[in-house]
Amino acid sequence: MLSVEKISAGYGAMTVLHDIDLTVGANEGVAVIGPNGAGKSTLVRALCGLNPVRSGRIVKDGIEIHNQAAHRRAAAGMGVVLENRRLFGELTVKTNLELAEHEGARRPKSAERFTFDGVLDLFPFMKGRLDANVELLSGGEQQMVAIGRALLLQPDLLILDEPSTGLAPKVVKSLVEVIGKIRSEGVSVLLIEQNVALATEAVDRAYVMKLGRVVGEIGPSEWKGALNDSGLAKAYLGG
Amino acid sequence: MTTTLFIQSLLAGVTNGCVYGLIGLGLSVIYRGSRVVNAMQGDFSLVAGIIAYLAMERLGAPILIAFLGGMVAGAIVGWIVELLFVRPTRKRGGTEESFLLVTLGGAFAVSAAALLFFGRDSHPVRGLGGNELLDVFDAAIRVHAVWLIVLSLAVVVALRFFYTRTFIGKSIMAASIDADGATTIGINVPLMRSLTFLLGGAVGGVAGVLVSPLITIHYEMGLLLTLKGFTAAIIGTLGNPFGAIVGGLMLGLVEALAIVFVSSGYKDVISMTFLILIMIAIPNGILGHRGRAGG
Repeated sequence: MLSVEKISAGYGAMTVLHDIDLTVGANEGVAVIGPNGAGKSTLVRALCGLNPVRSGRIVKDGIEIHNQAAHRRAAAGMGVVLENRRLFGELTVKTNLELAEHEGARRPKSAERFTFDGVLDLFPFMKGRLDANVELLSGGEQQMVAIGRALLLQPDLLILDEPSTGLAPKVVKSLVEVIGKIRSEGVSVLLIEQNVALATEAVDRAYVMKLGRVVGEIGPSEWKGALNDSGLAKAYLGG
Repeated sequence: MTTTLFIQSLLAGVTNGCVYGLIGLGLSVIYRGSRVVNAMQGDFSLVAGIIAYLAMERLGAPILIAFLGGMVAGAIVGWIVELLFVRPTRKRGGTEESFLLVTLGGAFAVSAAALLFFGRDSHPVRGLGGNELLDVFDAAIRVHAVWLIVLSLAVVVALRFFYTRTFIGKSIMAASIDADGATTIGINVPLMRSLTFLLGGAVGGVAGVLVSPLITIHYEMGLLLTLKGFTAAIIGTLGNPFGAIVGGLMLGLVEALAIVFVSSGYKDVISMTFLILIMIAIPNGILGHRGRAGG
């Protein structure tokens, strides 16, 4: 599905990411965890093309995509929810979703998993708010619009960057459910999170990043208990 | 003063106001789509006026073709400006101030080029309906001015439709509100910015061909138009194109009344004082802050 091979990236003279390797398989849920400043968001920006990759390769479904323009990566089946959601605040919920739906229509018919109505069924609150400007919604609702927008691109890989930031615990819980439903449709998920509790519930395994490098991998058997494993916490999370 | 004189000045105010509004509309289109305060807006109009004049006087083109040519010329100049000046500045991390300086330099360059190739003289341009006049309660208005008012309003309606109903218009808005978010859903943000300048240039071109028959073309007219259009756009909030036309009409009427009640020599003094007062009293324009706040 996605294979990231030794990529480096940065801003200006500064290199933030060093030789990152990671893979996400079909139907797999993978987390990237690590403290602030680990380079997690830079990794997301490199994956979706907003930051150029300086060396290494990003391969999706056997095709190198790291030299593709950022706006073409949705067509390669990559749906991204950036940190802080990056919605179009002054446009309506409907317009936010429709713009993505239009792009998603360019994907092959076989890739279509979510219709406009399907997204509304996934997030029922939207049905009554379609004509509201997105900026008037709560943080949790905006996060759901952002996820819905990404799903209408008809991705087979969904990348979520810190979706739980600033959300109430109840909303975080519903996020776990939402990610579960998305995965049950056959979409792989790459979840970038500081909230390890959420991540252990939502995905199967994890990479740990620190200071721009992948410093560890936590396999499926260890991952489910990672939260209560003081050894892991010490080794990887600096706790 | 007589009623006729009053009506006459109101008509002049509305006519001029539509011109200021159209220039302001072009400025808003560009600001809203790319966050560039475009000091060349009036020069798009100058170029369009010159092209229309040359097409009619040198090539003998019919007036509608000449006007269309002027509009297309404005659009092309807008597109070139984005490609050659704005885009490289943005790549180097340019701010709103640097865009203003870059386009101000461009405005002087266009003006100088017009002086070089077109000369120092003013050139009269034929208007729609020639020089025919209509009678409105004993006051006279040129048929061309009526067309100018009608076409200005048509441009406003068309732009409103474009931004709220068409996919490209919505994509332009999305790219302007959040460039990264737009990119992730497949919108080609640099292309949207080019289209924004193309559109802003076309609006400037329409303003140019419509105003030229009323004021004659002169190489220095660009910056003057930009300044009036900027005032109109600021009054109506810079990011809100529909505010610009309201702002333009207000400015035009204030000027017209100033001519009647004070003196034509003080026209610009009064309109600029008006701008300063508006900026102090309601810094976000008459339509509130929302137009400009949009990220």
